[in-house]
Amino acid sequence: MEQMYAYRCTKCGKLHHPRYIVCQNPDCDGREFVKEPLEGKCKLLTWTRVYNLPEGYMVPWLNFGIVEFENGVRASGQIGFDEGIESGMELVSTVGIVKEKVIKYKETVVEPQYGFIFQKP
Amino acid sequence: MREVGIVGIGHTKFGKSAVPFLDMCCEAALEAMDDAGAKTGRRNVINQVFVGTMGAGMVNRISGAASAVVDTLNLRPAMAETVENGPASGASAVKLGYAAITSGLCDCALVIGGEAMREVSGWEGTDFVATMLHPEGEYRYGLTLPSFAGMFTRLCMEKYGLTSRDLAIVSAKNHANACLNPNAHIQAKVKLDRITDERYIAATNPLVADPLRQYDMCPVSDGAAALLLVARDKQEELGFGNQKFIRIAGIASATDTHYVADREVPTDLLAVRLSAQAAYRMAGVGPEDIDVAELHDAFQILEIEESEEAGLFPRGTGHLAAREGRTALGGDMPINTSGGLKAKGHPLGATGVSQIVELVKQLRGEAGERQVSGAKTALAVNFGGFGNNVVSTVLQAE
Repeated sequence: MEQMYAYRCTKCGKLHHPRYIVCQNPDCDGREFVKEPLEGKCKLLTWTRVYNLPEGYMVPWLNFGIVEFENGVRASGQIGFDEGIESGMELVSTVGIVKEKVIKYKETVVEPQYGFIFQKP
Repeated sequence: MREVGIVGIGHTKFGKSAVPFLDMCCEAALEAMDDAGAKTGRRNVINQVFVGTMGAGMVNRISGAASAVVDTLNLRPAMAETVENGPASGASAVKLGYAAITSGLCDCALVIGGEAMREVSGWEGTDFVATMLHPEGEYRYGLTLPSFAGMFTRLCMEKYGLTSRDLAIVSAKNHANACLNPNAHIQAKVKLDRITDERYIAATNPLVADPLRQYDMCPVSDGAAALLLVARDKQEELGFGNQKFIRIAGIASATDTHYVADREVPTDLLAVRLSAQAAYRMAGVGPEDIDVAELHDAFQILEIEESEEAGLFPRGTGHLAAREGRTALGGDMPINTSGGLKAKGHPLGATGVSQIVELVKQLRGEAGERQVSGAKTALAVNFGGFGNNVVSTVLQAE
């Protein structure tokens, strides 16, 4: 089972997602982070359904959203259902394959990519 | 600091190009050079060339484009650099041309922006543009620029009350302007009812990235544009004394978070605000002095929100200004007289240069039927990524 993480600065405690090299707190210069699972309940801030997908997706559309977790970390990801999507709704994060293939130097290779797929609780 | 101005402009017809990338760049460059009276070979006075392009290497398999252009145009041994800054590559190249002259590195710089995106399929093109997103947090999910524009639009609708019809008003306005611009990609008037009427909207204006529809975003275009920049103190000596000198009064860029979800206020376009404010400060003007603006409307929501962030209208009222016709030709704050990215087209690396070509025409009084009467001060905003790198430029006529 793949796991998504937040990254806590060991100097000031700020949580980040995705990972950074330097802490994003303007008053901190931390460069070390500890990983913490980023999962569970979250609130949908905004969303879209996209019909013109990039190369590699053989589906008519995908739903995407930006969520805020209970610890304040925000993340973008796919939404795993079609009906009843509304800004402000409660969701729960899962992890799954968000892309089957990647392009490497003009060649498309099978290399599953894992990421957030938000679902109804 | 040395004064820098534009004495030559060139612009290809945007759309589907019949010629390859380098030919397009050279066509725009020669038009700008001819406009200024610049020569090639032994009589060349251009000592720096910048080419702004996002995808020449990735899409067209051409790297080192600036070196190739210098050689093709017989401008050797001019210095040559290719500039990549996403869809803001063009204005970044202008900024570097400005900096090269003010620093004394050169006296005369040729700045070209070009893109040949239609050589690849729509799928490949969408994927290529999306490579500017955060690789781990965004790109890997299949997120694209229209995806973020869709999510951003929904937030703005919920916060400011703007509607899908407001986006269509901006779209129809820019299509009307493009009909007056022979270099525009799409020269077709759009009737507001045809793209908003619920009875046939699914056919005439389908959803692309809900709530965004086809007419709420720009087409995929090929094209190139060019500017000849010269130091005021060398204008006469280099042979451009008879040319109108459109001064680059202010030019600045700013950045914002790469990961869009990280933005403190998700409806803010902070890099637009900061770069515009810095360009105004440099020029010694304010938004109230702007007579005409070219704003980066890759999505119609961006024209509205950029007009607010650049201070042309109070926050949350840009859509009301559009509704009232204030941003149309004949309005008190005309925006995107060229047709904007929506209808003139958006060849990524060319756009920032193309915006300035339009404003030079306006400030010279050479914009024909789309001329803004008495225009003296103009603003361009060239928007990279989903707002994570923005260049603003203020131009002034003598």
